[in-house]
Amino acid sequence: MRIRSRSIAALFVVIAISGACGSSATPAPTGAPTAAPTAAMTAAPTAAATAAATAADTAAPTGAALAPFCTKPPSQAGQTLTVVSYGGAYQAAQDKAWFKPYAAATGITITQSQDSANATIKSQVESGQVSWDLVDVGNDFGLDANANLLEPIDYSLVPKDQILPGFAATYRVAAITYGIVMAYRSDKFAGAVPQNWADFFNVAKFPGKRGLYDYSTGGVLEIALLADGVAPKDLYPLDVPRALKKLDTIKDSIVWWSSGAKSQEQIGAGEVTMSMMWNGRAWSAKHVDNKPVEVQWNQQLLVADYWVVPKGTPNKAAAMQMLGWMSCANNNGAVSKYITYGPPNKFAPVDPTNKPDLAVSNINGTSVTVNDQYLVTNSATLDEQYNAWKTK
Amino acid sequence: MSAPVAVKGRAGRARRGPLISRWGSLAVPLLVLLTAAFLLPMLLIVVRSVTDPADIGAGNYVTFFTNEADMRVLGNTFYIAVICTVACLAVGYPYAYLMAIVPQRVAGIMLVFVLVPFWSSLLVRTFAWEVILRDTGIINTLLLNLKVITEPLPLIRNTFAVILGMSQILLPFMVLPLYSVMQRIDPELTRAAANLGAGPFAAFRRVFVPLSFPGITAGSLLVFVLALGFYITPTILGSARETMISRFIADQVQVRVNWGLASAMAVILMVLTFTVLAIASRFVKLRDVYGALGES
Repeated sequence: MRIRSRSIAALFVVIAISGACGSSATPAPTGAPTAAPTAAMTAAPTAAATAAATAADTAAPTGAALAPFCTKPPSQAGQTLTVVSYGGAYQAAQDKAWFKPYAAATGITITQSQDSANATIKSQVESGQVSWDLVDVGNDFGLDANANLLEPIDYSLVPKDQILPGFAATYRVAAITYGIVMAYRSDKFAGAVPQNWADFFNVAKFPGKRGLYDYSTGGVLEIALLADGVAPKDLYPLDVPRALKKLDTIKDSIVWWSSGAKSQEQIGAGEVTMSMMWNGRAWSAKHVDNKPVEVQWNQQLLVADYWVVPKGTPNKAAAMQMLGWMSCANNNGAVSKYITYGPPNKFAPVDPTNKPDLAVSNINGTSVTVNDQYLVTNSATLDEQYNAWKTK
Repeated sequence: MSAPVAVKGRAGRARRGPLISRWGSLAVPLLVLLTAAFLLPMLLIVVRSVTDPADIGAGNYVTFFTNEADMRVLGNTFYIAVICTVACLAVGYPYAYLMAIVPQRVAGIMLVFVLVPFWSSLLVRTFAWEVILRDTGIINTLLLNLKVITEPLPLIRNTFAVILGMSQILLPFMVLPLYSVMQRIDPELTRAAANLGAGPFAAFRRVFVPLSFPGITAGSLLVFVLALGFYITPTILGSARETMISRFIADQVQVRVNWGLASAMAVILMVLTFTVLAIASRFVKLRDVYGALGES
């Protein structure tokens, strides 16, 4: 008996070690960092129709109405706020575009953390120890399914009517927009340019391996259906068996990626000749790593990262005020100066140098806005079918 | 769990005598830590697996066992752990044997070769394997340039690469217990066997190998249990077919925020691991296994 209990105690130690060995590096479904160009922000802060307006059904002829706090936010001296994002070049851009200017204008003290995770929000709220006030999350979080974890957005401060349709919901408002796009090696196809996702699936015409995001709700099913000829308007609800059948045609050519950095490295090293990528990462492969990588904007999937406010934060009012300020048309596009991610506010001017490389500048009839609500509601069954196919 | 002083004061009731009690008290902090930081959370995980979401009952377990991918990946996990253990034993046994028979100084150097990679990050080593093995990696580029091959060899995104990467990481857990047992085997015993007419191989097989058995089981169990918890290495070096269960657990925790299902999966993995160890304990004395580790 004593022998057994001692062996079991030793075993616990072994299991504890094994737990420690398998830590971190899990996919975070967000459009994450690239590096930044240095062009100046030249657009006038009150400008009306912009690149983003091409996406808008009704661009206001006289420009967006600016609340007084957009240009002169009230003093927040003595107040502190913990803002959390995904780190890297992405958060550095947000810092330069939003956090520092807002702190300078209001006297607020902003503490930053770089480890945004859905699980951390949940554990903070469940334990009643909420230390995050404003959090940048991926498109899979912040819908009504997470109502018990989040404060409703104060739309008396955030100009909902100026946000691109679909990018402002009860508990979240978009921070930046990005595109899931087709990136390709311009040196591998003898000058031929892949035009759409059908070409992506044509390994005979465009030889080489394909990089795909290993995440059932990360766009992989959508691009398979687009490649198979489904019209953007008929995409949802997703015909999963049809998507998996299409994916099966290139299964042996797929190299999966789970982080933005990985996708950038794979195409940079030439391990894949084409990859579905977040547009900022494709931009970095070309402009930071200096690799022959180009983007095909046709049939891009338009997605966003979102701001949420964890339920029960003692700094809720200050968080909403900052969120309101960042969402103003005059402030919302500032981040595009430092990174190729666009503003969700359709009246916000963007950086002229980076304008051609923003997802919102490349919206056309073939673009698809990802239906987060559908994906979140059905994630369990999507996971089940996708994983069953993938691991077969 | 009484204070050590009290035990000393009531020496008559101390079962193991004062010396052991006093030294045994040194284990108290660890026991407290294990209870608070491991046993209790473990218990909470079991509770959560049947209460999150409310009224789920056995629902999370039903979800798991009726899910085709979950079952397949669970099978993969044990399959890869077994292959990994065999691979580590095949490489580790001769290495440990060599360490045991060479002079002490050389053995020390050999030990460093095992430990230095052990001290570098798992992620770094895994990414290093990727750079070496991939289609545009060191080996394939070299062979392509030398015109030895015309197409890149399939060195990565398969079981081979996963076993290679995991075995390298887990090898120290095999070599160290083996070496600690082997160095205590009296060389006179094999010599005596030779004296009695055994050839070198027979002496090795019938005397040395059985005596090293505690090292074999200790190393194998350690490697096997540790391998069950891997997921980053299979994700980076393997294809989707080498997905391991911890990856699915991590997805449920971090991405889907479905902690009830994640807890159920963790409980299932733990119960199965205990089952394997229980079966193993019928054939080997677990005390020997962990004793071999402790007495190096």
